[in-house]
Amino acid sequence: MPVDSLTRSSPSPILAALPTPQISTPECPRRARIQIDLLLLATEALDLSSGETLLTLAHDLGLDSVVKGRVNLWLLRSTNPMRRYSQRRPMQLEEAKALVTLIGHQARRLTVLIRQLLMGYQQLTTQQLSPYHHLRLADYLSRFKSHFRARMNPRRAGVIVYDTDEKLDQLALELLGQLLLCSGVLGTQRLWVSLFDGEVQ
Amino acid sequence: MTVKRQYRLPSCTLTLEGLTASSSDLKSPLTVLMNAECHFPDADQPPLSGGREFLDSLITAVSRYGQQLLSGIARPPNRDDPGLVTLKADQGGGHHLTVRSTPLEGVVDPQAVPVVDIKLTTLQFHDLMEAIDQLLADSQTLPDLTSHLQSVPRQLVKSTIPMVQRATPAALGAATLAAAGLALFFVPVPEIKPPEVKPTVTRESSTAPPALPPDTPPQGDGTNSSPEDFSQSPAITDPNTLNLLQRNLTRTLQQGWPTDIKPSEDLSYRLVVSEDGDILAYKYENDIALGEVDRTPLPKLAFDPVGSLRSSQEPVAQFRATFSPDGEVVVKPWSAAEAATSSATPAPAELPEIANKIRGSDRIRQLNDGLYDRILSNLQPLSASEPLTYRVRLNQEGAIVAYAPVNAAAGLLAQETPLPQMVDNAASGADQLDFMVVFTPAGVLQVSPWDGWP
Repeated sequence: MPVDSLTRSSPSPILAALPTPQISTPECPRRARIQIDLLLLATEALDLSSGETLLTLAHDLGLDSVVKGRVNLWLLRSTNPMRRYSQRRPMQLEEAKALVTLIGHQARRLTVLIRQLLMGYQQLTTQQLSPYHHLRLADYLSRFKSHFRARMNPRRAGVIVYDTDEKLDQLALELLGQLLLCSGVLGTQRLWVSLFDGEVQ
Repeated sequence: MTVKRQYRLPSCTLTLEGLTASSSDLKSPLTVLMNAECHFPDADQPPLSGGREFLDSLITAVSRYGQQLLSGIARPPNRDDPGLVTLKADQGGGHHLTVRSTPLEGVVDPQAVPVVDIKLTTLQFHDLMEAIDQLLADSQTLPDLTSHLQSVPRQLVKSTIPMVQRATPAALGAATLAAAGLALFFVPVPEIKPPEVKPTVTRESSTAPPALPPDTPPQGDGTNSSPEDFSQSPAITDPNTLNLLQRNLTRTLQQGWPTDIKPSEDLSYRLVVSEDGDILAYKYENDIALGEVDRTPLPKLAFDPVGSLRSSQEPVAQFRATFSPDGEVVVKPWSAAEAATSSATPAPAELPEIANKIRGSDRIRQLNDGLYDRILSNLQPLSASEPLTYRVRLNQEGAIVAYAPVNAAAGLLAQETPLPQMVDNAASGADQLDFMVVFTPAGVLQVSPWDGWP
């Protein structure tokens, strides 16, 4: 692992905890860009002020130099090819590391809510009831759906897959579980490593 | 000293019992594991427990499965050593944790080993993973345990596109090729007929061996045709075209002539050139030109038309090319005057003024009709593409004293008209008169008095 170069180029030691993967390009693979944006979308559906919190968090963690503000964050998230206004610019590994770190912190901050929602979902599933019987969960699901539909390009093959409410609900619940897994002690590292599954040499 | 470490989370408790490295130091880390116990309070199952092998296997399985949940990409299981603990996704969004007991001594069949299967919710799995993560991060318990997080390598990932789907295009292509081959198998092979060569009758053919079959190409000294072959071809008469051809020909010959070998005297050739500038035929004009022909670029440049083309009535222009001893190539049109001299027929370019013109409209009409009839009786089809106009001078008896071409085409193609043969060198007389004779391309002969009808 090229630890030396990593610490030299890292603007923040917090990013050094995430190893640089052995991939052919210094840019983020496509699936990683989609996954990062979708997880951020899920945190926004959980917490309406998530966008502001992200920026504050970036400032507190000393990641300002990577995530330089609202527009920069929007540009970074728009590297998701499913977006309506998808940007052709690549996402550098350093930027991805910063976003993954932010996701980990957000997930930790929202752990209690995520656990509540998952708990409620499990209870409803055992009773064979729809998730909309849980008020807070229904809120999350409908907000996620409206965010997703407002921002994703419906003509994209990756978006056409989620053409029904049920499929989008399933995606939202999946992301909820993934956010929970990111919230732990090693959650950020686990998420980071999982982004390059099937990409490393 | 025996110590117990517990990682307690809402729905999972991981308890480790072991020995510290140093019995006196309380801060000494737990280094030897005696028992590991994993308990899910919500599940009505007895706690899972085992030794170091169980714990290692549990950590590996949980790490891999957690990564699979995050990325959706499963790492293929290790077939040689499946491990004691395995985790699998359940149909309804849950997770299955299966634990094989450590095989007892003497039991060979691994299938006979009892298996514990616990169904976990996402929360329970998360708590299990979190307990393990806390254990991994804890430097006071089993410090040799660290997280080995690794992305799944590309080689281990099964393609998301099934084999059948990937093989379809190739199979389709092969099938199409086979079908096309089968269909074309029944199409007969086309027969190739060699182009028929019409035997060309030339003036030189009388000297050539007559036994040559028509298909055999005539053998010559580097070229297969002579300028006489083109005597029936229409001549190019446009002065611009002739100029262009002349310039091109001069350049081509000059470039193709290795000037390091100088002839001792002028080499003169008669060339037949097509409208495109191809040299169709050439013939020596002096003896040294015949001997030195292989030193000139002509044999290389001569375009050998195939037999069927040779008989075609392609418009041609004739030139005289002279290779001089000082390395110059001079190309001049093969003028009508030369043609006339070569056939020993005097063709005066300009006719002198007539001293005494024939008078009398009846006589003029008679001469006109007589000339018309005589030319018409000797007339052969002409290759001209424009009217050929001549000024023809008759004496009192109606014999042709002389003639002169009026336009350029008439000068070039005079040999094709019957006029050269009709000139009567002996004819004379004080009274003469000029007539205008026009051969139109359509084959119509027009004869009229030069000065107009009286």
